[in-house]
Amino acid sequence: MRYLLIAFLFLLSLILPGTVFYFWDWSGIKPDLMMLLVIYLALHHRLLTGVIWGLGAGLVQDLYLGRYIGMYTLTLAVVALFSSWLSQRWYRDNFPLMTLLVFLASALGQLLIGFLSLAAGLAWSGQDIIRLVLGIGIYNAVLVPLTYPWIHRSFMYGWLRYRPKYEQ
Amino acid sequence: MGKRVNATGIAVLVFFLLLGVLISIRLTGLDSRFPNPIGGALQRALSPVEKTLLSLGSAIKNNTRALWSFHAVEQENQALREKVEQLTGDNLKLKQEVLAGLRFQALDEGVFRSPDLDKFNKVGATIINRSPTSWYQTLTVNRGSTDGVKINDPVVANLGLVGKVVSVTPTTADVLLILDGEGQVSAMVRGSAGEATFGIVQGTYKRGSRLSSDGNLQMMLRRDDNVNVGDLVLSSGLGGVYPKNIPVGKIKEIQLDPTGLLKTAFIEPLVNFDSLEEVYLVTGGK
Repeated sequence: MRYLLIAFLFLLSLILPGTVFYFWDWSGIKPDLMMLLVIYLALHHRLLTGVIWGLGAGLVQDLYLGRYIGMYTLTLAVVALFSSWLSQRWYRDNFPLMTLLVFLASALGQLLIGFLSLAAGLAWSGQDIIRLVLGIGIYNAVLVPLTYPWIHRSFMYGWLRYRPKYEQ
Repeated sequence: MGKRVNATGIAVLVFFLLLGVLISIRLTGLDSRFPNPIGGALQRALSPVEKTLLSLGSAIKNNTRALWSFHAVEQENQALREKVEQLTGDNLKLKQEVLAGLRFQALDEGVFRSPDLDKFNKVGATIINRSPTSWYQTLTVNRGSTDGVKINDPVVANLGLVGKVVSVTPTTADVLLILDGEGQVSAMVRGSAGEATFGIVQGTYKRGSRLSSDGNLQMMLRRDDNVNVGDLVLSSGLGGVYPKNIPVGKIKEIQLDPTGLLKTAFIEPLVNFDSLEEVYLVTGGK
């Protein structure tokens, strides 16, 4: 059930930015829901498991987009690593702190996409990259108060609850 | 005793990982034709849901537009009334000028229903998804290889050029808009006397932002080129992708380069990309 629900959340994260959030964008900026979901997964798993979720989610997104395979795979793995590393130092039940964490992790991820895009030969101005990095970081952070309490509760006590093997 | 960390090993691993990703990104860029069965299956499976969500969102936005932007709608209403009055006057004037057989006038009228658009084999398609990320200006349509759509097929709307197909699944196709920085079009400017000046139109990131469709096309010209504000920009057919004479936009502004050797024409697209819902994929007869 847990894996089915996570797969459903992955699909939603792929579909919603291009459909529903197309109408709720801020000057062309949409949230990166897949990145948000990977951050949540990394926050509620151990470091290695979180990174594996990041790699898997990134690969699915790359294949769905059908171009620049590896860009999101690498980015989401790094985002998961960073989120997991921060979550070991920051208190996970502190929602404002988690909002800041999501902002930082999303901004880092978008910055990495910006650099990889430049490496791939795409012509982006520094100003637009900064707008996207900050914009998507803020948009993802704004979604935290709306989504994190539910997701966190589900990861702790509900259907998404993660049980390491030694607990089973 | 703690575990020893092999820093060199980790550095080598990270280096090769990065190298691998960069090579993969290079090999699978736009226009590449690498096989992607998983991505195709995902697109096929999700496209009905995406189509429903997009049309639902569009309906909600359109029906509640007056509530969210009351002031803007009021202003738009006022502007439209003034425009109707102006156009009524213009219409009378145009009829007289058409009768006089002015060539430029005929061209200018052609913008709104270019006869060149009618001579291609076209497949009508509905937009089912916009770019899921903010990094590209793309859209997904509900036609694919089973409808005869191929990579690099041009995409047009009623008023003019939209872009080209960059990836295809059996039931969907991704379209790169001409607004994207990667979506260059070989074009020509038709002056008031009908003479052509050739160049490349590309999505711009130097003026305004690539994130908005306002003033998002530009064309580099030589200082001596005889082009003026209001001139019509059409595809030239020289690039091998887009057919000739598809309207792209109208020149809105011309700026001289600081070196004095070149000038940049900023082009207003004829197609309103934000409200686009249906397009035609040109599948033959280019």
